[in-house]
This record gives sequence, structure tokens and C-alpha cells, in this order.
Amino acid sequence: MGADSGPGAPSAVPWRKVLYERQPFPDNYVDRRFLEELRRNVRVRHYRYWGVVREAGLVAQQLSCVAAFLTLWWYMDQSQLSPSTLLMAGLLFALLGYGLYEALGASRGGGRTRLADLQSAAIFLAFTFGFSPVLKTLTESVSTDTVYAMSAMMLLAHLVSFPYAQPSPPGSLSLNAALFASVCLASRLPGALHTFAMLTCALLVFALWPCLLHRLRDRAPWGFPWAAALVSLGSVAGLASLSPGGALLLAVALLTLTLLCPLLLVRLQRHKDNIHGPWDEAEIHEDLSHFLQ
Amino acid sequence: MGQRKRAAIRDSLANQIMDGITLGHQDSPKHNICMVSDFFYPNMGGVESHIYQLSQCLIERGHKVIIVTHAYGNRKGIRYLTNALKVYYLPLQVMYNQSTATTCFHSLPLLRCVFVRERITVVHAHSSFSAMAHDSLFHAKTMGLNTVFTDHSLFGFADVSSVLTNKLLTVSLCDTSHIICVSYTSKENTVLRAALDPEIVSVIPNAVDPTDFTPDPSQRDDSKITIVVISRLVYRKGIDLLGGIIPELCLKYPQLHFLIGGEGPKRIVLEEVREKYQLHDRVRLLGALEHKDVRNVLIQGHIFLNTSLTEAFCMAIVEGASCGLQVVSTRVGGIPEVLPKELITLCEPTVSSLCEGLEMVIARQRAGTVPPPATIHSRVRTLYTWRNVAERTEKVYDRVAKETVQPLHRRLHRLQAHCGPVAGCIFAFIAVLDFLFLLLLQWLVPDSVIDLAVDASGPHALWKRSGNRKHSV
Repeated sequence: MGADSGPGAPSAVPWRKVLYERQPFPDNYVDRRFLEELRRNVRVRHYRYWGVVREAGLVAQQLSCVAAFLTLWWYMDQSQLSPSTLLMAGLLFALLGYGLYEALGASRGGGRTRLADLQSAAIFLAFTFGFSPVLKTLTESVSTDTVYAMSAMMLLAHLVSFPYAQPSPPGSLSLNAALFASVCLASRLPGALHTFAMLTCALLVFALWPCLLHRLRDRAPWGFPWAAALVSLGSVAGLASLSPGGALLLAVALLTLTLLCPLLLVRLQRHKDNIHGPWDEAEIHEDLSHFLQ
Repeated sequence: MGQRKRAAIRDSLANQIMDGITLGHQDSPKHNICMVSDFFYPNMGGVESHIYQLSQCLIERGHKVIIVTHAYGNRKGIRYLTNALKVYYLPLQVMYNQSTATTCFHSLPLLRCVFVRERITVVHAHSSFSAMAHDSLFHAKTMGLNTVFTDHSLFGFADVSSVLTNKLLTVSLCDTSHIICVSYTSKENTVLRAALDPEIVSVIPNAVDPTDFTPDPSQRDDSKITIVVISRLVYRKGIDLLGGIIPELCLKYPQLHFLIGGEGPKRIVLEEVREKYQLHDRVRLLGALEHKDVRNVLIQGHIFLNTSLTEAFCMAIVEGASCGLQVVSTRVGGIPEVLPKELITLCEPTVSSLCEGLEMVIARQRAGTVPPPATIHSRVRTLYTWRNVAERTEKVYDRVAKETVQPLHRRLHRLQAHCGPVAGCIFAFIAVLDFLFLLLLQWLVPDSVIDLAVDASGPHALWKRSGNRKHSV
């Protein structure tokens, strides 16, 4: 019975995993059945490399979106890109995107009509246009370095908090961070129209594009990798026209994100060692809320 | 002058101890045991009553036992409980959930003082949630004392917090002499968490005082069927499941009543259910119960229901069965080991499975085929007794006392080899600092200068429990 009886006790009766019976074994006895209920890696997902690459493409394209937005801002800041050109291009892309969105959306759920969409767009454009002189002078008393640092932080926060699993609707924290950064950057541009153009562009890139991409991923899965690749290539090309070194860095980062990181994930999966057993806290799988409704 | 006098007293006491040891050889050696845990009276719970009852039974068996815990509000300093059980309430800062803060060092002066004053030979720490228990293990090993640890709870492996606490447990237990768990499931869990050799882990279950939980069928109303639930109302006790069971069964059986004792954040769930289904007369929430009132609630019921999602031992179901109730419980953790099949109905932790189990027992109760409470009580009363627990724990102490405590260099080696390259090195460094701190304390206040306390319990106790040996002192 005691701890010091030694493991060589007589074992005429088999050991049982019960406490209510006095058994002829020492308290520190270790049976062959010790840990027999141990289960390893019960609910582990097995990843396929190309499947992960596909999902990682979303992260890469979001990074590209930020890069493309910054490139556009730089051209605006240097007055090499006129606001009217950007607005026209934005309008063109918005119409194209809206058409595609409608074409992909088989059934119009949620009861939103085209008129409602138009109304929202009109209200947003009117207000942004009206307030753009205010936004233009918003950060005048703040030093440019602070504005840049703040924008960098906010864009980083946008990238970190972006809901990659469910990009539509864009998460409130990530969208707000991106818009805050856009307002900061836009306020450093030469004119009020520039600010307006930049903000509509930010809305297209950070709010509407993820919605379109999400629908694309749902309804036309074959088109999604192409869209992501196109955005990535476009942003690298755009950045290359500004600074070849930066474009090279971006390209390396994108390749690492889409090809190397998934490889690491798949490779390291072998080392996964999850332990399950009777000591685990039971999970309540049922929906118990209906008892209270 | 004072020092010389102290030294003289110390010598005479040391002689007494030698006598004790030589005397002890005739039957079994007596130990000076120090129980350490953050959790003790006035806090109430399984760990607290375990420490108290075990200490009482060890004193009865002739050992010297003291308890060390932190100060609870106004309760500080030294207190004596029944049978001259001495309790030190040390002034340490409480951080969270009645557990003290730990810096690995700050408790050393106080604990060293206690260990030296009381001539402790075995330090027995309780509960892995108690920082003070881990601190005392660490310092006891630095001072070269034997250590025993009792783990009272189960822990998972899946989330970040458990990964961190399991690492700390690995460090804390890697050179502890012996570990005690309360069930076989708990032993498997602890062995995995702390990467231990299963040979140094003993299973000694908890116990219930059967005289506290006697049945009294006259107290229950046999015109209805009462289900009793006594637990803290928290998520881990499966109160959400209970919130699903109550409406299901109350709609089916109009004579069914629920009696729920305990308090906690999930009380709101039960109140909402009661409100929505208008069950105010059939579901009674009693709120927090004192330990002495538990029996009075239990004997009013026919069925005891336990919906825990995780449980190392579960004393509640033994208490329920001891009062002669039919026990229905979830099959989680160590619960299947606790009661024989004929005394418990085990269900999966789902509303449907628990309802099924309860309906089966209700049907048996109506048909009158359940054994009478007195029969169940007589079956349960011998299963778990504190005397048996003390006897088995004593064997652990005997085994530990024969082992030598690892010297510092071996301990450092063990830490580095066993706890991984990073944590191992960090804690080896802390162990060295602790040792240097101990040397500093020993230089400032040498052991020989510290007053020795008179024994309140044990072979040289000045206060005898019975009057027959009073004249010999």
C-alpha cells in the first residue's frame, strides 16, 4: 500500500484505475496502462502547400495595396499626378468594380438597392468634398515627421489587424487605422482637391476593394489568385518607378510571404505535439442559448 | 550572554530530538512537517480542508505538524487550532485570488526563520495555484530540506497560459523529492505537465469525514423528487449545462424540485432560466453555504447532481453519496475513479446525456428500486478516510526522509538538463542567487542564534492532547 513497498509487489490481480478499492500495489505503482488514454494531435489540420500559398496571397496583396496607395500619394505630393486624373481613374475602377461585384453576386441579399448604393456614394463624396479644405489644414500645427510616423504606425496597425479570414466587411479597427493614416497623409498634399482625391482613393483601396476581393474569392475562386498577383505586380512596378531598391525589398517581402512562410508552416507542422486526455476540460458544444430565448 | 543561553537551550532540545529519533526507531520515525499553502482557513475549499484534516491525523499519529500560510486580513501572526496545530500567518502580499506574489526571494527570510525555529525536516507544499507553495519548495531545497508536493487540480495543455504555468511547474517540481496526486488521472496530468518520472508520484485520494455526512431520510419530502446541486456557480462547474437541464426536466416531471447551493458569476444563468420558465417555487437558489450547512441541504434531496467540466477528484459526489443520495455526474477527469458503478450514474457532459441519466435515476426512484440511504452510507463510509490518507502520506514522508537532498551543483545540473536550455539556465541562476541570499542570512543571523520554538505537537509536545502524559513533561 505504501510508497516504499517497491514496484515488485505481487500482481495476481490486475491493477484497476479506481480509487475506491484498496489494491495490493504501492501508491506510486506505475501500470502498463499508465497514460493509455493519452491522445496526440487529435484535431490537427493537415495543410497542403498550395492551399496555404493561396491564402497567404491575401496577406501579400493587402501589403501591396498599402504600397500602391503610398506610391500614389508620393506622385500626388510631388505634383506629378493631377487630382483630376486620379479621380477619373478612381471613378473608372469604381464603376468596373461595382459592375463586377454585381455580376458575381447572384442574389441581392440584405435588401440594398442600387439607389441606396448611389445615395451612400453621393453622401460620402459630398461630405468629403465639403470637408476637404478642413482636412487639408487639420494637421498644419503638427510637424511633418510626426505625421509620417503616425501614418506609418497606423498603416502597420491596419496590416496587423486586418481580418484576413473574413475580409468583408473590413474590420473596424483596420479600416479606421487605414483611414486615419490616409487623412494624415492627405493633409500634407498641396491642395484641397488633392486631399479629396486621395481620400476617395483610400476609400476605394481600403474599404471597397476588400469587399470585392472577398466576393471574388467566394464566387470565382479561380480568379482570386490572378487578382492578388495582379495587385502585387502592379504595386511592385509602381514602386520601381519611384525607387528600384524599395521595389526590390517589396518583391522579396511578397515572395517571402507567399512562398517561404507557407513552406515553413507546412514543414513545422510535423513538430506539432498536442496532448489530449481525460484531464482536458470538457467543452460545451451545444447551443444552450435557446433555453433563454 | 543571551546567545549562550539560547545555545544551551538549543543543545538540550537537540538532545531531545536525538532521543526522539532513537525512540522512533522502535516503531516508525517521527517527522517535523511543515504544510505550506496560500490556501487555508479562513478561506474555505477542498485544499484548505485537506490540509487541516491531514494535519490533524498526522498529529494523532505522533508527528509534529505546523502550517504556514499568508495573513488573511486581521488574522496574522501565530494561531493555534484544535490539538495544538500551530498555524503561521505570514505577512506576505496577496496578489490575485488569495495567491501571494512571488519574487523567488522575498519570502526566504521568513520561511527560513520558521523552518529553523520549528526544526522542520519535511516541507509539504499544497496546490499548484499557490505561489507560496512553490516559493517554499524552492527555499526548502536551497536549505537542504526534504520536499513533498500535493497537486489538487487538473490543467490543460492547449492555451498559452497553461503552457507558461506548466513550464513553471516543471521547474518547481524537477528536484522535488516526492509528489502526491489525488487521482490517477491527476497523476497522468501532473507527470505530463512537469515531465516527471512516474515512480516519484504517488496517488493518495482525498477523504471525507463520514461522521459529518450521515443520511437522514426523515428530512426529505417523498411526495416530490428533489435534485441537489452544491458547487460554486462558475463555468468550470458546468452551470450552463445545469441551465439547460432544469427546464427540460421540470417540463417533463411536475413533481421535480431543484435545490442549488453555492454562489458565483453563473448564478445569473440559473436566475434567468427560473424567471423565464416561472419555476420560482421549484428551483431554490440557496446562495453560498457554510461547510456545516452542506449536510443539512444534502439530506433534503433524493438525487445529487454534479455537472463539472473538469475535476481532479470531486469530494462533492462522495459527500452526496455519504448522505445516501443517488449520484449523477459527468464523466470527466478523475470522477470515474471515485465511486463504484452501483453508486454513481456517469453521463457525457451534454444536456441530453445528463437528462437521460437523471431520468433513469428518477424512474428508479419512483419504482422504489434504489437502495435505502443507510445502505449507501455504510458502503461509502469506509471508502475514503483521513486516517488512511495520513497513513499513506506518512509512508511518503518515510521514503523521502531516507533520500538525500541534492546538493547545489547537482541541483543546478538537474535544472539545466530537465527544464530546457533557456528556462533551465534562468532558474539555475535564480537558485544560485537564492543560495547566496541564504548564506548572507546565515551570516547575519546564524542558525544557532535563532530561538527554537517549543513543540506544540509531535513526540515532544508540551501540550498533550490527553491528560495522561501531562506529568511526564
